[in-house]
Amino acid sequence: MSVKQVKLTVVVIILAFFAFFALAPFFFMLVSSFKPGDQIIKNGISARLDLDIMTFKNYKTLFTERNGIYLYWYKNSVLITTIQTAVAVFLSSLVGYGLAVYDFKGKNILFVLVLILMMVPIEILILPLYKLSITLKIIDTYAGVMLPFIVPPVAVFFFRQFAVGLPMELIDAARIDGASEFGIFFKIMMPLMKPAFGAMIILQAMFSWNAFVWPLIVLRSNENFTLPIGLASLITPYGNSYDMLFSGAVISVVPIIILFMFKQNSFISGLTVGGVKG
Amino acid sequence: MKKVFVTLLFCLLIVGITFSAAAKTTTLTFWTFQELHQQFLEKEVARWNENNPDNQIALEATVYPYDQMHNKLLIALQSGVGAPDIADIEISKFANYLKGNTPQLVAFNDVVDPLMGQMIKARFDNYSKNGNYYGIPYHVGATVMYYNTELTDQAGVDIDDIVTWDDYVAAGQKVKAATGKPMTTVEVTEHWSLYPLISQIGSDIFAEDGSIILDNEKNERVLTFLDDLVHKYDIAIPTPGGFHHSEEYWAFMNDEGAASLMMPLWYMGRFVQYMPDLKGKMAIRPLPVWEEGGNRSAGMGGTGTVVTIQSDHKDLAKDFLVEAKLSVEASHKLWTELGFDPVRWEVWDDPVMSESNQYTDYFKNEDIFGMLLDIKDEINPTMITEQYPQAIDLLKKNVSFKVIKEQSETPAEALKEAADELRQ
Amino acid sequence: MKSIKNFYQKFINSKKVAPYIFVSPFIIVFLVFYLYPIISTIIMSFQEIGFGEAEFIGLENYKKLFNVHYKNALLTSTNYTFWTILILVPLPILLAVLLNSDKTKFKNFFRSAIFMPALTSVIVAGMFFRYAFGEQASTLANSLIGLLGIGPITWLQDSIPAMIALVILCVWRWLGVNIIYFLSGLQGIPDAIYEAADIDGANSWDKFKYITIPSLKPVIIYVITISVFGGYKMFAESYAYWQTATPNDIGMTIVSYIYQTGFNNFNMGFASAIGITLLLIVLVVNLIQLNLFGLFKKED
Repeated sequence: MSVKQVKLTVVVIILAFFAFFALAPFFFMLVSSFKPGDQIIKNGISARLDLDIMTFKNYKTLFTERNGIYLYWYKNSVLITTIQTAVAVFLSSLVGYGLAVYDFKGKNILFVLVLILMMVPIEILILPLYKLSITLKIIDTYAGVMLPFIVPPVAVFFFRQFAVGLPMELIDAARIDGASEFGIFFKIMMPLMKPAFGAMIILQAMFSWNAFVWPLIVLRSNENFTLPIGLASLITPYGNSYDMLFSGAVISVVPIIILFMFKQNSFISGLTVGGVKG
Repeated sequence: MKKVFVTLLFCLLIVGITFSAAAKTTTLTFWTFQELHQQFLEKEVARWNENNPDNQIALEATVYPYDQMHNKLLIALQSGVGAPDIADIEISKFANYLKGNTPQLVAFNDVVDPLMGQMIKARFDNYSKNGNYYGIPYHVGATVMYYNTELTDQAGVDIDDIVTWDDYVAAGQKVKAATGKPMTTVEVTEHWSLYPLISQIGSDIFAEDGSIILDNEKNERVLTFLDDLVHKYDIAIPTPGGFHHSEEYWAFMNDEGAASLMMPLWYMGRFVQYMPDLKGKMAIRPLPVWEEGGNRSAGMGGTGTVVTIQSDHKDLAKDFLVEAKLSVEASHKLWTELGFDPVRWEVWDDPVMSESNQYTDYFKNEDIFGMLLDIKDEINPTMITEQYPQAIDLLKKNVSFKVIKEQSETPAEALKEAADELRQ
Repeated sequence: MKSIKNFYQKFINSKKVAPYIFVSPFIIVFLVFYLYPIISTIIMSFQEIGFGEAEFIGLENYKKLFNVHYKNALLTSTNYTFWTILILVPLPILLAVLLNSDKTKFKNFFRSAIFMPALTSVIVAGMFFRYAFGEQASTLANSLIGLLGIGPITWLQDSIPAMIALVILCVWRWLGVNIIYFLSGLQGIPDAIYEAADIDGANSWDKFKYITIPSLKPVIIYVITISVFGGYKMFAESYAYWQTATPNDIGMTIVSYIYQTGFNNFNMGFASAIGITLLLIVLVVNLIQLNLFGLFKKED
């Protein structure tokens, strides 16, 4: 084996180690999801393939229990994630770009505001935010879940960081050609920011999909719950409903994984190169 | 079980259809953190609707995660909008909802007072303030000792001979010698080992005037005793997983981990559900006493069902709850369906309470409620103040943990530290 | 009519106005959803809050901060932030470089695999980890250290093992995410630069040191910044292991402490005061960090 081959093999081994570390819990979950709940309680979560006791019953329960409430949770999560991701990524790209490219009065103050908002733990704002949502009449609605987080400061900051590295010469050139400011953004800069969009779409989708603290407060009815809330309600201090918990968790991950596997190339790699400079 | 449920649902449907034209139906919303409570109240609604054709109820129940339900309710009550008609509040959180001068809950006195003669009053006191009862309990939560008789028999111990805690220690030493297994487990991250004993010995966290007595001599004696079980007599271990509701503990017990367990009677359900391997081996007995003639139990845990002042149907909600949780029929069902010791002690010697069901089948006792009747006057009330949630928090997190697990403090130090923090 | 439209278009496109339109979504959301709650939290931190009643008590809530729990929480959060940054910046950069190379085999699979944890709810993943770090000899963590001849340990009831458990859960969840950040930065480095370096005879390490790292600087700043925020804001991981009561505060973070005082003990005023101090601490830490990196300098 040449040195080069050894190197490549070492790389694969390193990556395989981390992949294993990342995937192991899923394997346990997957195996457990086929075991009856009382088995899990008795013997703990284990990855032992015990074909005698493994059944599809948990998955059936998932779709029949409480009139298929799981499907409602699923639908809500999918809708909220899709809408919120699309709108939030678009709006924060505008703001991040604006902060990076222009010099204007109040820019630094605004940027500090973004940073401050980024670090406010939602837990301390819950009470006043809830009161506000009552006034705005968005309790128990999708809007209530999404609106406060429709311009996530983390995403603004990311786009700002990315846009700082864009070639400013292009902007000046376009201005000389008579392009409008928004024309420049949509036609020239947005394509250059594609990798940032890719990363932010994935991450924003992940945040919305797993959002827990706020949706739980703002949503009221069972049918409006999202998946994390529904699944969490299966965990109680008096013993967990494992039957639905693990199968529910497995099904909740599967479609995103499929989407991610198919889409990741167009998300991350292969896209137009936007110059990032330091 | 499922069949019954389907049938009941069907009845509910028929009843609903039959009367929908004539009768008015009121929708009541209900929040809980326990699916079993939801199922129970739904069945009670069906029964209510049969008996009250012209005053129908539709129950809209939502099960939330435990912590989150309490927070959500707190926020809704604090901001004056969004609370349900009815809600379950766990005892260690209850005081939060009675904080300040404007209670957000509706007093039950007018409907509960006439029944008080048949009730274990101490349980209502847990949910009261200034003489007003704000919550309706599900159970007494009498603390008992669960023995694994297979292990005690192996050691030649007759559990009926265990009268005092000294006897218990002696029996534990025999069990340890014969089987190599610990007599019991002591919780180090929850309070179900320390607090029942504090109550049993006649002490408490707070005195009746609300002052803090957590660091008194009796409590020190109790904590020292628990510590000694583990480190001096070597007949107990810190609970696997830290507390008696952990997965580790269930696996441990299914594997015949320890010969006995002190928990309230509502823990029977956990045995039936999570420790199937111990079926037919477990027997329930009163607690050993500290002194001859001392109390043999303590009332622990529980959930108060409340009506919030935001409800538009306060009277209906109150009447319904009294019927659904305190009536004779409901009391029977609290036992047969949930395995609870109902607060209406008057029903304890009813025939249905000794009939065979999933709980009696699991345990070796013939007459659980006979035993309860025996000890019903030996249950001290517990004093609850605004600081109760914080106090329970400290018991859970620090007191037993530092003494028994970390061994970083003596019982006196740990109790004093917690008491001082509460006094601040 | 036409001239009005023209004027309008000119107006919003002018270099003076356009920037404000770009940033307006943030300003609107801030004014509508955050201004009132933040002010209200500041006010609450000087109050004792009951139901529909609030009493000003001056600095009482802030005085209460001098207690052992607050100190413990601050230490836990700081430790946690330190360790997660120490691991979650260099490691993902390295893996991102490996995953970005054309020569690496199966890189799509590896990328998806390592990113997968980010897709799961921490509530459910926490169940697994809580069990994996159980105290019996047979649990995953104890079997692993058993191979090295150590243990078994009661992981979740001792401060150092508890911190290890927290950091491992954090690495598991966020490794893939940080890799994505760095990958998107790496995509932006033109191949030509590397080719030029090759011609100059640079080796891999030189290229990494003189091209990759400087090019990634904005992304590194970003990741460190959000890691400081994320570290101090951490709550979900702690909740997954211990819910709200950690024995002797070993896993209690500042936000867990806020949650406990605010909700479990219904002391919203004190909780707000803790929150405000958290805000100040993180702000200072990050301003120092960002100034070191020269973020507020005009970039040209």
